[in-house]
Amino acid sequence: MIREVGVVGAGETGRGIVQSAAGAGINVVFCETSEERVAEAIAAITAVLDHEIERWGLTKTEKTVILSRIRGVTSFEDLKSAPMVIEAVHDDWALKSKVFTALDRVLPPEAILVTNTSSLSITQLAAQTHRPDRVVGMHFLLPVPKRPLVEVVRGLHTSDETVRRAKEFAADINKTAIEVFEYPGFVTTRLILPLLNEAMHVVMEGVASAADVDTAMTLGYNFPTGPLELADRIGLDEVLLWMEQLFRELGDLKYRPCPLLRKMVRAGHLGVKTGRGFFAYDERGKKKKES
Amino acid sequence: MLVLVLNCGSSSVKFQLIQTSPEAIEAGTEKKLARGNIEKIGMTTAIVSFQAEGKPPVKETPVILEHRVAIERVLTLLTDPQVGILKSRNEIGAVGHRVVHGGEKFSKSQVITEEVYRQIVECCELAPLHNPHNVRGYEIAHELLPDVPHVAVFDTAFHQTMPEYAYIYGLPMVVYRRHGIRRYGFHGTSHRYLTWRMQKLLNKPASEFNLITCHLGNGCSITAVERGKSVDTSMGFTPLEGLIMGTRSGDLDPAVVLHIMAKEELTLHEANTMLNKHSGLIGVSGVSNDMRELVKESQKGNKAARLAIDLFCYRLKKYIAAYYGVLNGADALAFTGGIGENSPLIRSLSCAGLDCIGIQIDPERNEKLNGSEGRISPDDGKVGVYIVPTDEEMMIARDTVHAVAGKL
Repeated sequence: MIREVGVVGAGETGRGIVQSAAGAGINVVFCETSEERVAEAIAAITAVLDHEIERWGLTKTEKTVILSRIRGVTSFEDLKSAPMVIEAVHDDWALKSKVFTALDRVLPPEAILVTNTSSLSITQLAAQTHRPDRVVGMHFLLPVPKRPLVEVVRGLHTSDETVRRAKEFAADINKTAIEVFEYPGFVTTRLILPLLNEAMHVVMEGVASAADVDTAMTLGYNFPTGPLELADRIGLDEVLLWMEQLFRELGDLKYRPCPLLRKMVRAGHLGVKTGRGFFAYDERGKKKKES
Repeated sequence: MLVLVLNCGSSSVKFQLIQTSPEAIEAGTEKKLARGNIEKIGMTTAIVSFQAEGKPPVKETPVILEHRVAIERVLTLLTDPQVGILKSRNEIGAVGHRVVHGGEKFSKSQVITEEVYRQIVECCELAPLHNPHNVRGYEIAHELLPDVPHVAVFDTAFHQTMPEYAYIYGLPMVVYRRHGIRRYGFHGTSHRYLTWRMQKLLNKPASEFNLITCHLGNGCSITAVERGKSVDTSMGFTPLEGLIMGTRSGDLDPAVVLHIMAKEELTLHEANTMLNKHSGLIGVSGVSNDMRELVKESQKGNKAARLAIDLFCYRLKKYIAAYYGVLNGADALAFTGGIGENSPLIRSLSCAGLDCIGIQIDPERNEKLNGSEGRISPDDGKVGVYIVPTDEEMMIARDTVHAVAGKL
């Protein structure tokens, strides 16, 4: 089992990885851009753990132990002792490539660099470093502590040993890894997006109401959440961004974004985060009962 | 023979070094030469406490990330010229390991051969939180001390004498056959120690008396011992069944679990943690899982603390009366464990109103003998009620000697 892991970026995904690793008994050093952001991240993780205690999923002692394994820093220099560093900054090429170049310069050559991208090319990121064989993708799903899956993504030069280590880390934090080769959307995104898009077509074409589409899939196919509520939770702007990217990369008409989706995004109905998408939501993100 | 007793948990290693032999066991002249505890393994700093006989005590907080390092530390401490008691680790003659679950395969302690090792590993499925650490402890100790016999002493072994009708649940038999779902019982080494000790206190062999043993610590269980054999015990498939405990619910209508899971939309993990870590004394009182705290709070008028105490004692009383019936009468009732040995209030409340079956407590003896061994029922009490401080390590050392000599 890996003893320590570094995490760059403490947004929702980064914090989720930090919490999952610390919860599994691994010491974590995470890096943010300022002391304030470090403090905010710790406060956010503490709030999630407190919520877990309220749900009887954790005890106060366990919370103390988990927090004691987490250390926030503001310099890449402080990540040097970690044999594996996971980058979880915003999914933006300019930012990620800058982070990768800097990490490559600071970290010892044997350290493994992981990127949490769900859309960018691992191969291209790896090319920014002097260790393309030790660069690998790990695509976590949100909320990270609750989703027991991770896609381990091979770039063109990723070595078997690096893939093995990434899978081992996934197992250490109690996640099942599936191995995928770099390709737009990997498996999870590529399969779920056309489904969400098709559900929107069904609504747009007047075949069924949004509520009935979701009921069909939750009761008919045992989906924990219906496709339209899921789209609301992901954020309709994100869904649109994704569809456009798949459409651009793969050029197949089946990835063409649904016009209704485009219209809703233009109207500012982005889902849970704006309180309104295919359904209405309260401030805590709970779906409002239809009147 | 010098026996090293090891008890490896998820983040701790407890150990004792005991000088013993078949003759010493017979004469009751075994000697504890050293004892210690390594806690918080894998955390920022571990806590090591150690003391060998006639040597200064050791308290240190090194970084210990792994059980291997912890067990190496144990051997280093034992052989340290200043604080230790051995010249060389070669003086250790055998190692006794506490193993939580022996499944249906082990009804007594075993010298760990390859076959036994394989079977203990198989039992990990039944006790995923405990057995893997016990197994790991053995693997490391076996590497560090390869030339001496290692013996496994199981918590479940003593209860393997339960009759079928006591260990089968009222469920479709197929779940027993497929998954081994049945009652196993735990704390066996402690209940067995009490049984052994009561022979001395009653001055007759175990085959001549019936006994009810109450182990009341962090976990709590009660056992009906008929002529030296466990015939029923309150813990079941896991240590969750039976008495109210510090953080565990004990007996419950199973439908309650399903209902709560649906109402609160709990995951399996959350439901499991609720029952094992957020229930029992802490859950009911909202104050503490420590009985001493609860007694203090209750005396100050805290009603929730009082309720938790009452629940605890009432459940225990029901079990005592039930086992009295199971045994068709008991000659003695013995209390042990942190609460059982040290709480006069709990002993007296759980026996209150049991004079109908001859169980009475002498209030003065109950107070005076608190924490030490002896009889707390009046001289004319029909059932002898005793406090017997438990000693699981001694029992493990004894079993180790006997197993090595092939006399189990």
